[in-house]
Amino acid sequence: MKGLTKKLFAGAALSIAAMSSATSFAGENPTNPIMGVPASSIEEFGGREGVRAWVESLFYYIMLDNRIAPIFREFGNPERQIFLNTQLETMVLGGPNEYQGASMSAAHADLGITMTQFNAVVEAAYNACERNVIKYHTCNQLINALAPFTDDIVTR
Amino acid sequence: MKGSKANGSRWIKTAAFAALSLFSTGSWAGLYNDGKVFLTGGVFTVDGAGGGGAVPWATITGYESRDGINGGVGFTYVRLPNYDINWIGGSIGFFDRFELSYVNTKLTTDLSNVNTVALVVDALELAGTPLVGDLGLSSNGSKLHMDTYGAKLRLFGDAVYTSDSFIPQTAIGFLYKKNTTPEFVRTLNADKAKDWEAYLAFTKVFFRYSTLVNVTVRYTAANQIGLTGFGGCDLGHNNCNSDKEFRGEVSIAHLLQKNFAIGGEYQQHGNKQKGKTVDTGGLLATDPDGNLVSDLVSNLIGGVSGLTGLNNALAQNESDWYDFFFAYAPSKNYSITMAYLFLGDVAVASQQNGLYLSLHATF
Repeated sequence: MKGLTKKLFAGAALSIAAMSSATSFAGENPTNPIMGVPASSIEEFGGREGVRAWVESLFYYIMLDNRIAPIFREFGNPERQIFLNTQLETMVLGGPNEYQGASMSAAHADLGITMTQFNAVVEAAYNACERNVIKYHTCNQLINALAPFTDDIVTR
Repeated sequence: MKGSKANGSRWIKTAAFAALSLFSTGSWAGLYNDGKVFLTGGVFTVDGAGGGGAVPWATITGYESRDGINGGVGFTYVRLPNYDINWIGGSIGFFDRFELSYVNTKLTTDLSNVNTVALVVDALELAGTPLVGDLGLSSNGSKLHMDTYGAKLRLFGDAVYTSDSFIPQTAIGFLYKKNTTPEFVRTLNADKAKDWEAYLAFTKVFFRYSTLVNVTVRYTAANQIGLTGFGGCDLGHNNCNSDKEFRGEVSIAHLLQKNFAIGGEYQQHGNKQKGKTVDTGGLLATDPDGNLVSDLVSNLIGGVSGLTGLNNALAQNESDWYDFFFAYAPSKNYSITMAYLFLGDVAVASQQNGLYLSLHATF
């Protein structure tokens, strides 16, 4: 019995590993905020190009913030980060799901992100919205859509 | 599951760090934290706790995240037609989990009816024939002072980031209120000058609508948040009753930008002093014909106002509180809250509406 359980667990672990190594698509799913995200959000962000411009601003502000810049400098490949984040944000705002990265929990598992660091990124997100002249209310739709990932990202 | 495990150890860490920090000033540098997002710790309430203007929220005061400690000091000034109130105090938030607060409240009355009574008491005392003891009144504006000590513990939930769940941030709070002008409180026919209150607060941010909603249930016997004491008595301090009851409170704050909120509040009040006149300790006692027993008093106030008029004017009433506010946090180091208060009937004065101005400086 014990051995069987062990084998089952090993099997499950293997299949999870197989899944994550093959995550060329759908490593993460759109979130499901209780009050929904308005369908017009992606458009108000300026479409895919608008989202990409926002992500570029986001990384600009992140790299200016001493509380979080070192983490991104050490672990991030900015070009790839911007590419994947554009896909992720497009997806959660109701656009097509073309996200090619790992799940939020897998991507952040080893980083030991604190709530303080997470909030610093949220501050950068608002600054990026202001820089890109995205309305505060529209910006909140993105926060609304990304907020459910908090527990996957903050591990400390 | 991972999250709940982390929460468990965080609890122990919180307690350990809180205890440690009391004894070690050297550890402060590492514990200082201002990682919370704008305004999500609330502002400085009249109870000292973090929240709106009058309603304590489930959020923990200060800009600390769960990684450290933060706090601030606050000052609030309210000008009403017949009252002038100021609050000064401070609060500390520990690990976004626990908060301690203190506030001192000073209320000065500008009531011609109470001043008249005070004047009579003074005159009798000067004449060497005092009829009553200390009523706690002053003819230059009687004062009510109160100290409020508070503690709040976040039980569960996250007001800000759980946009995929209806579970609000939930906290339980205790307040110990000690009115340091018990003579005046007794004159107002309140049962007690000091008492405790408890509340359960539920707070949730709805990003979809850029709006924060808070509902608080308070278990209390307070009259005017305790400024005029707790519970009520019949004239002569008989048939006293200060049984606590549950009262509801609501705050709604809509964010126009990340550091500017507008909103409104409602606070249910009891009415334990309803219709009770100010207890002048027999000063205004009348005979069956309605004439003042004391000729001296009769001579003194006969010319000022009719007796019936004065006695009627000394009847108390208490209304629920409403306010509309805006709060602006230009930086994480301070916020300014302005409000217009609709406090209705407060003790012996009616239609007490006026301006509220509050500054909350955070470390």
